[in-house]
Amino acid sequence: MPEWAVVPLILSVIRLSAPMFIAGTGNMYCERVGVLNLGAEGMMVSGAFAAVLGSYLTGSPWIGVLFGMLAGLLAGAIHALVCVEFGGMHAISGLGLTMLCNGIARFLCISIFGSTYSPNVNALQTSQILVGIPVVGRFLSQFSPLIYLGILLGLISWFIVFRTPYGLRMRAVGDDPKTVETAGINVWRLRYSGVLICGALCGIAGSYMSLGQLDRFFDGMISGKGMMAVIAVKMGKWSPGGILGTALLLGLFDALQMRLQVNQTLGLSPELLGMVPYLAGIVVLCFQKGRNARPIALDAAYLRNKYKF
Amino acid sequence: MKGTPGSARNPHLRETAVDIAVPFLLLLFSFLFSSIWILMMGKNPLAAYAALLDGAFGSSTAFVNTIKKSIPIAFASFSIIVSMKGNTFNIGAEGQLALGAMGATLAGALIPGLPPLLHIPVCLWAGALFGMAYIAFPTVMHVRRGVDLLVILLLLNNVANYILQYFVLDLFKSDNALVPSSRSILGSAELPYLIGPPHRMTIAILFVLVSAVVLQWYFSKTVAGYEMRAVGLNREAARYAGIPVRRYTGLALFTSGALAGIGGALEVLGNYHCLYTDFSPGFGYDGIPVALLCGSNPILAVIGSIAFGALRNGSLTMQARVGISNEIISVVQGSLILSVASNYIVRYLLNRKKGKEKVHA
Repeated sequence: MPEWAVVPLILSVIRLSAPMFIAGTGNMYCERVGVLNLGAEGMMVSGAFAAVLGSYLTGSPWIGVLFGMLAGLLAGAIHALVCVEFGGMHAISGLGLTMLCNGIARFLCISIFGSTYSPNVNALQTSQILVGIPVVGRFLSQFSPLIYLGILLGLISWFIVFRTPYGLRMRAVGDDPKTVETAGINVWRLRYSGVLICGALCGIAGSYMSLGQLDRFFDGMISGKGMMAVIAVKMGKWSPGGILGTALLLGLFDALQMRLQVNQTLGLSPELLGMVPYLAGIVVLCFQKGRNARPIALDAAYLRNKYKF
Repeated sequence: MKGTPGSARNPHLRETAVDIAVPFLLLLFSFLFSSIWILMMGKNPLAAYAALLDGAFGSSTAFVNTIKKSIPIAFASFSIIVSMKGNTFNIGAEGQLALGAMGATLAGALIPGLPPLLHIPVCLWAGALFGMAYIAFPTVMHVRRGVDLLVILLLLNNVANYILQYFVLDLFKSDNALVPSSRSILGSAELPYLIGPPHRMTIAILFVLVSAVVLQWYFSKTVAGYEMRAVGLNREAARYAGIPVRRYTGLALFTSGALAGIGGALEVLGNYHCLYTDFSPGFGYDGIPVALLCGSNPILAVIGSIAFGALRNGSLTMQARVGISNEIISVVQGSLILSVASNYIVRYLLNRKKGKEKVHA
């Protein structure tokens, strides 16, 4: 690969790993409080669609992002209701949520726009403010402002989870909810907050997919990115730094396969190249080490006393 | 549910009543929830559901089409039921359907000179083998290393979709077809008709019925089936009783993959006689709510599959007549799965209500 091709590759790796990082950070909250979230995919889909709808209706992409965040929050609220309040099965709920959000997004897209593609809307693909910075401004301005928002959210998340009493309680509730309840802390409020934050962040990640990378929504645009975020959390040992590393690794594979599709250097068919990021994700999942960082009470329901019979 | 309060007269009868009532309540909820979205688009949900029912059961052709659609769903639900009996959850039925269909297409097109009586079983075996081969890696990783099965399988469903596209558009494509499709299978591999044209119902439905009975027999009458159920109900207790838990988990997953593979194979042998990239609109995912709602009973799953086949088949009529996108079916299914996930609370509410009545009486 010639040297001039390295910079675009780095740029595209960052662009492709950003949604996995933002959604992964959200999932970290969710799993830290002990709720497994296979619905990240659905939350991202609702975010992506609502963002385009918001931008389409108001003309302002930032209001679109707000819409996306709220839609993700709403999807998160459904997941929280089933998993936290009703003591439901986390994996099944996540699966249902993904199907539901995919269905609603497709249904609304066809009903409103008349096809599975939305029209082009105002987007946030570049940050023109940064163009003035010497030397690097040329590159920095090529990123969506949502990427910078994502980095900021990652830093804040690290601080919240590892440096505040709230984060300590969050980590404790994922390991042993009974002890936390005995200590007089409201387990369910903590779990609600974790799942809702997750929903909002996944919504932002979805908005980035539709408004930051592209300027439209189409059916199947998330296709597995949410699951990649779930993997990034497990591989990244439930911390923002680790999640960033895994997201960049998975993004690298995605960028490489896209480049090979465009260049046709290996002469492989696009379908074979398309599966590379997923296979990379599976390999990463299978050969990760240090599973002892896993929240002990992950995927376990903790019911309020009044619901027991 | 153990320890339900109230109704001292016949607790078993009441538990059965709750067992029967819950799936219907959940279905009702999901249809009500979907009605909200239909209303938001300014359409009449009742007219939509009437069209749905008419499209699914309104004529003999419609009914046969519903049955046809229910066949892959039934196999997907068997696949998920078997995996649930082994204390896992095979969410990859969609991918295994695609792989099984590919196996059957290959065996059907490439093995010449066999009589139908031999060729059809060979194709079905090929489908089953492809399904098993596909689930082999996740199974080994899950049983040996404890890797999260659901995450691998959900990713593999994406991979299977790419493999299917590669197979149909590149590796095994037909040169003279209007719609992109794979090469056709030979005449000797096509399933014979049970009811001839115009209905064109093949003997595939018999495979569904036989499989349901065999599975029911296996789980209720054999030692191996009993032990597998024990693993599914309580892993630790089964281990303590000396049952080889890992072996049964592996067996359940491999059987599960084979069943989904056969489902895909029957689609090719019975319906299309070749393979399209979009031959399955999500039959594998339809099997999930069926398996969950039917309390993993294979016989009930056949009835559940017909209901979901009706949903798939009738939604097309609904789209044509009322102008509601048939995507609303995904909304019905998604909300149904979400409500199944929270079925504990439904049971709690039902029991609480009964308990209160007793206090007042």
